[in-house]
Amino acid sequence: MRLYLNTARACHGNWSLTVQGTFCEGIHLVSGDVGSGKSTLALMMAGLLSPTDGSIGQDGISSSMIALQFPELHVTGTTVAEECRSWGLDPESVLGAVDLMDKSDTPPLSLSRGELKRLYLACILSGQYDLLLLDEPFSSLDCREKERLCEILARRSGGIIILFTHEQTSFPRVDHIWEIQGGVLIDCGELPGALVRWEHAPALIKKLISAGRCPKNISPGDLMEAGCRT
Amino acid sequence: MQDVRIRIAAAALLTLAAVVSLQGAFWGFLWWLVFTPRFGALKRTGMVAGTVIVIALAALLITCSGGDGLSYLIRMIVILLIGVWLYSGQEAGEFLYLGVWLLGNRTGFELGMIAEMGMQMAESLATDLDRFRMAIAIKGQRWGVKTLVPAGLVLVSDALSRAQDTAELMAVRGFSCGGSLCPKFTYGARDLVPGMAAIVAGILAFVPVSEFFILYR
Repeated sequence: MRLYLNTARACHGNWSLTVQGTFCEGIHLVSGDVGSGKSTLALMMAGLLSPTDGSIGQDGISSSMIALQFPELHVTGTTVAEECRSWGLDPESVLGAVDLMDKSDTPPLSLSRGELKRLYLACILSGQYDLLLLDEPFSSLDCREKERLCEILARRSGGIIILFTHEQTSFPRVDHIWEIQGGVLIDCGELPGALVRWEHAPALIKKLISAGRCPKNISPGDLMEAGCRT
Repeated sequence: MQDVRIRIAAAALLTLAAVVSLQGAFWGFLWWLVFTPRFGALKRTGMVAGTVIVIALAALLITCSGGDGLSYLIRMIVILLIGVWLYSGQEAGEFLYLGVWLLGNRTGFELGMIAEMGMQMAESLATDLDRFRMAIAIKGQRWGVKTLVPAGLVLVSDALSRAQDTAELMAVRGFSCGGSLCPKFTYGARDLVPGMAAIVAGILAFVPVSEFFILYR
């Protein structure tokens, strides 16, 4: 299973993004500043936006899904229960899992953004996809939900999972790190070697590396282990 | 046409002419052919095509019930073409200027602002529709009759909630009524000829020219 970026390019006015690389099975983290082009890249990878130059190819990927950054963009149902059904899911099982059972008849757009995000992430993560693209999955979530999301992602097996985020505190264990800098996608490599090349690394990770305690990965457990290492 | 006053007056006159008679629709269509970028002004071809289909269906119903469906079809399409031209040339703030110029800083300002908000709403509804279609595609569903009702409900509820937000924001910022504005209009030779031509087209549509000539034969 592979996703190829063949010097694909996206342009809006003076802004441009050029991406090159191959994404294999595992969890990939794509980081970058706000406005660097993470969402554009996610849309291109999902086939919802055509590159202006170059191409994006797939090998062995038969199903794909994208979770958009803003939960409102996913809404097609008039009630929360209908929204679950629009994903082909039984509302009771989904709403029970995300603690929204009492909001079953509420219009989805009247939920808070955090609730809506929780709802559609649950709908998306209940399916199995060869390629799963999560654009800013941690935004609008509280610490507990971020932690829960990391646990769910860690439990998933098979397929290519790509997280596009500028998150600095909550991460699952990832296999590969990429970052967008100056309109170019840079391959930082696999963990733990990628950490020293990762410009957007959270301050804590940078501090641990400079203290000679390079973490094995970026999950809170790995950071704690590196911090407590003697 | 640069001047919103002439543009709207021309569009209103030509629309009225097309409503009144087939002859008026003919002059309106001729005006549209000569003075507009024609189909170059079309921004959302799909939406216009959809409207044409609805008009054609209504014309078919009129014909089936014994009315003149063809006349209705022709007149409505001319009105649609003029409307599309008017909409495509509209720039932000023009309705506000027009409102204040016509009715002053209180009533005019408010009417202009409502018109501006309406235009904004139309733009955002079009964007929301694209967004809805993308959401449908992500869920692996097809865009069709079955999705039209939820699409309408979601789009309207989204638009209402946005309107509520705007109203609250304006109230928080201290808006109560009216405002002060110095309307600015750009006027040039490019406005004069189409404007005069629209008046001529209007006269030709309303005045029974043939009878006039018979009278003096």
